[in-house]
Amino acid sequence: MYALVDAVSFYASAEKVFDPSIRNKPVVVLTNNDGCVCAVCPIARKLGIPKFEPYFKIKWLLQKHGVVVRSSNYELYADLSEKMMNVISRYADNQHIYSIDESFLHFKNYGGIITNWHQYGHEIRRAIWKETKLPVGVGFGTTSTLAKAANHAAKKLSGFNGVAVIDNAQNSQKILERMDVSDVWGVGRKISQRLHHQGIQTAYQLSTQSPKAIRKQFSVVTERTVNELNGISCLSWDEIRESKREIFSTRSFGQRIVDIHTLQSALATHGAIVARKVRRQSSLVKKLMIFASSSPHDESYYKQTMIYKFPVATDNSCDIAKVISLVLADIFVAGVRFYRCGVGAIELESRAFQQSDLFVTDNSNPALMNCLDKINNRYGQGILTLGVEGQSKSWQMKRHFLSPQFTTSWRDIPKIRC
Amino acid sequence: MKVIPIFIEAGISGFESPAAEYKELGLSLDQLLIRHPNATFIGQASGQSMQGIGIFDGDLLIVDRSITARNGDVIVANFNGCFVCKLIDKPQARLLSASKIHAPVNIRPEDDFQLEGVVTRSIRLHHQAPELKACMH
Repeated sequence: MYALVDAVSFYASAEKVFDPSIRNKPVVVLTNNDGCVCAVCPIARKLGIPKFEPYFKIKWLLQKHGVVVRSSNYELYADLSEKMMNVISRYADNQHIYSIDESFLHFKNYGGIITNWHQYGHEIRRAIWKETKLPVGVGFGTTSTLAKAANHAAKKLSGFNGVAVIDNAQNSQKILERMDVSDVWGVGRKISQRLHHQGIQTAYQLSTQSPKAIRKQFSVVTERTVNELNGISCLSWDEIRESKREIFSTRSFGQRIVDIHTLQSALATHGAIVARKVRRQSSLVKKLMIFASSSPHDESYYKQTMIYKFPVATDNSCDIAKVISLVLADIFVAGVRFYRCGVGAIELESRAFQQSDLFVTDNSNPALMNCLDKINNRYGQGILTLGVEGQSKSWQMKRHFLSPQFTTSWRDIPKIRC
Repeated sequence: MKVIPIFIEAGISGFESPAAEYKELGLSLDQLLIRHPNATFIGQASGQSMQGIGIFDGDLLIVDRSITARNGDVIVANFNGCFVCKLIDKPQARLLSASKIHAPVNIRPEDDFQLEGVVTRSIRLHHQAPELKACMH
């Protein structure tokens, strides 16, 4: 048996955990630069607030209903996610964290131990609510795809109170008949359009197709989906694991950049973020990608990407900043109004298995980097930076409605009235 | 002549510290103060009403959500949209202060009330901590 546990509009729910004054209010969370609505809490959903709409377009609607608007507080979400995942992990010995708010569980040989999956699902929900104040949905299925479908039912279909189980043909059919093929895990927008054209509307209809015919028309991936919908497990954890072999830091600017120094400081800041993440997972950067572009909506779109290969893989923020300064002249063009830039470590090596070079000196400075990370971890990211990152961050993303970092910054811990 | 280099152990590396294998045993305040890390959060007390049991303005409160509150426990609750720290009087549904000048508060049906967790520890900082500076008043 598989289970998928995921939080109900995670970002919006996370905003409510440490701010009791908004628990019973409609809440939405905006994406980077406060561009679009990316999470809508159930109360706001009932008011008809749509997801993925640009903020400026529905501002009037939000004001009309007195909706609380928040910018994405990633520091808070990451911390709450970790706690939620740890609580979930108590309920099975095989956990796979799929995204910031979704976790699969695999129950092998639990037959005699857990007899009532419904009850078990509610136990999981209650524990997560009690310990983290996050609402979750739980779906059980005999394959990962069915667990995902059950989770969809638990959260979106009427008649399920946050928990749904697919463990036989009857309850499978009942749920799949009420699901559109586009809601099936692994079926993308294009494939679902083609399926619709062939008259295959529901997930149940897809499950009755011949896997071989589907493979011919689409691909092995879709064939597997059909098999999984019929309770034949085809996906292993490795195949649904997100690749961490690349680390990127990229963002669109709060306001356009037209001068080279500001672009340099933005790129250097992204470089420093990448270097920090690389160090956190004990990797080294072998190949670095640096890019900047104007907006695709501009009249003449400009984009330049540079790739630099380090002779010796490094995790030194200074090395990365030097490379950025080196390629800057090739990226910057006067007159371009830059809208977006980023830095990515596209080839990583493990620090533990690093091959040292006989001729090139290793100028990584672990002591300095360790010191940098420790100071920033203790007093807040950005307390200690490279000079090239600059002080004025006019280009930084807009987060006008940011809540405090309740759990990661001492300055922001919740106040409790006595 | 074949030379097999063998280092003389005691001569080069010195004697290993007899305490080496105990190195791992540092004292961790986290471990002592936080029993259920995933269900715990840290808040800061603000106000005088709990002084009778030793919680002063500015103290740190360690709040455990996984523990079920018993009658008379020091708890944190969401009371009408605000986190409060009080003693819980379960039979009479009241929030009690630990101070003579603060009267008990009845929890009425129209109040928005949720128990958040039990205060398992409180910490007084006799010297100011720079990390907390911004939130001291």
